[in-house]
Order: sequence, then C-alpha cells, then structure tokens
Amino acid sequence: MPEQRKKMKCSECGVEMNYHADKLDFTAGLEDPSAIDPDFGGIMEECHACPECGKTVTRRVT
Amino acid sequence: MNDSRPIFIPVILGTPRQGRMSEHVANFVVDEVAKQDGVETELIDVRKVLLATDNAGQDIKDSQFSDTVNRADALILVAPEYNHGYPGVLKHLLDTNLKEYIHKAVGICGVSAGPFGGTRVIQNLLPVLRELGLVCIFWDGNFSTVQKTFDGSGKLLEQAYIRRLDKFFKELIWMAKVLRNGRENVSLT
Ligand SMILES: Cc1cc2nc3c(=O)[nH]c(=O)nc-3n(C[C@H](O)[C@H](O)[C@H](O)COP(=O)(O)O)c2cc1C
Ligand SMILES: [Zn+2]
Repeated sequence: MPEQRKKMKCSECGVEMNYHADKLDFTAGLEDPSAIDPDFGGIMEECHACPECGKTVTRRVT
Repeated sequence: MNDSRPIFIPVILGTPRQGRMSEHVANFVVDEVAKQDGVETELIDVRKVLLATDNAGQDIKDSQFSDTVNRADALILVAPEYNHGYPGVLKHLLDTNLKEYIHKAVGICGVSAGPFGGTRVIQNLLPVLRELGLVCIFWDGNFSTVQKTFDGSGKLLEQAYIRRLDKFFKELIWMAKVLRNGRENVSLT
C-alpha cells in the first residue's frame, strides 16, 4: 500500500517530500512487462516533491 | 512553501517549419511572460531538440529538455494548426517525457492562417496534455490570421493581443502557484 510506505527525503535538502500523485506509465511496461500492474495495464509510479526546493522524484510502486 | 523561488514557465515553439509564423508568436509570448513579476522563462524550439525518428517515447529523451520540464512550474505551448491538428514533431517531443509533467500547469497559444485562432489544434491537444498529467487552464491564446498579426520582422501589428495575453498569463501563473503548493504540500492520501 503506497500510503504505508516510507516517506522520501529530498536528496538536496534532507527534508521530507510530499507524495502528491500516482501516475500510470504505459511505456515503461513495454520494457518490463513483468512490472505491469494487471489491474491497470501499466506501471504505477508515485510522484514526490520537496516543499523546500521543489525537486521532484518518482518511485515505482512494486 | 518557499515563495522566494520564481515560477518557471518555458515556452515551447511547436513547429520546425521553414518560414514558420509561429516563431513570431513564440518570441512575443516569451517577451510578455518575462515581464510578469516573479516569473522566469525560456524558449524551447522543437527544431533544436534533436530526437531520433526511428523510435518514440521516453527511450529517446533529450536530457536538457527533460531537465527544463522537470524544473518548470508551467508550460506554454505555441502550436500552429496543421490540418486541424497539431504538428507531429510537437507530439513526438511531448511524448518523450511523462513524470516531468505531473501536476504542472499548461496554457496553449494556437496559431492559424485561418480566422479561428488555432482553436482546433487547441481542442485536439487537450486530451494529450491531460494524459501527460498536465493541468490545462481555461484561457487560451488565439492567434488568428497570423500573417496579418505580425509584420515580416516579427513586430506585433495588433495591440489587443497584449491585453488578451495578460489574462492568459494571470490564470496560468495562478494555476502554476496552486499546483506548486499542491505538489509540495498537499498529500495524495
Ligand atoms: C501542413 C500544414 C497544415 C495546415 N493546416 C491548417 C489548418 O488546418 N487551418 C489553418 O487555419 N491553417 C493551416 N495551416 C496554415 C498555418 O496555420 C499557417 O502556416 C500559420 O502561419 C501557422 O503555422 P506556421 O507557424 O507553420 O506558419 C497549415 C499549414 C501547414 C504547413
Ligand atoms: Zn529539497
């Protein structure tokens, strides 16, 4: 469950990042079909942003 | 939120065509958006982002373009209407990124030789931009009969565009600020 996963820390500021979106990536699944979420047909990525510097990172939901 | 950071709004010139009138529009838009308080901008010319044409999608990312989009709070697309759609080169470029766009604002300036100000290219771009995770604003730039709107040197001949674009910028900047606050402070769960 994404909401139970550890919060990400910004590599620039060290502060906790905000988890603001889930995005389905349909193209990443072409390279790695085993990672496709069968309920959605693509690979789910979490998007996180730093409240201090704005840096954004994504994390694959496994 | 750290409000001291400027809002960064790059402008994408969406056609590589030789003799493109959209270049005048893009230059005008860059000059005008640069005048807005607390806003930084730069021009991204699709001609200058050299992408493979024997592949598509994120495999052919241009790192400089991705870094720019990643840093952006909003995008402005200057898109000419080609057969009621968008230039294929613009779509090819947009398709090379995905996560870089999420929860960022986008505004479109449609450009046409005809009288409808690129409304059909704008309408056709909306579903694409939505799938990319961008949030479309409800003001557009509509550059109709563009060959009469700028002279050959790119000088604006119709001053009404300055007021019209001002509304477009205000809305785009508002949305960019709201979405930055959302990305950084409003949790999905
Ligand atoms: C392939 C192509 C298709 C076009 N289709 C349309 C169209 O559907 N409607 C229109 O008003 N103008 C159309 N135009 C004219 C453009 O809108 C016109 O060239 C305008 O200046 C904006 O495009 P530009 O930046 O390439 O100059 C088309 C131009 C090209 C090159
Ligand atoms: Zn940070």
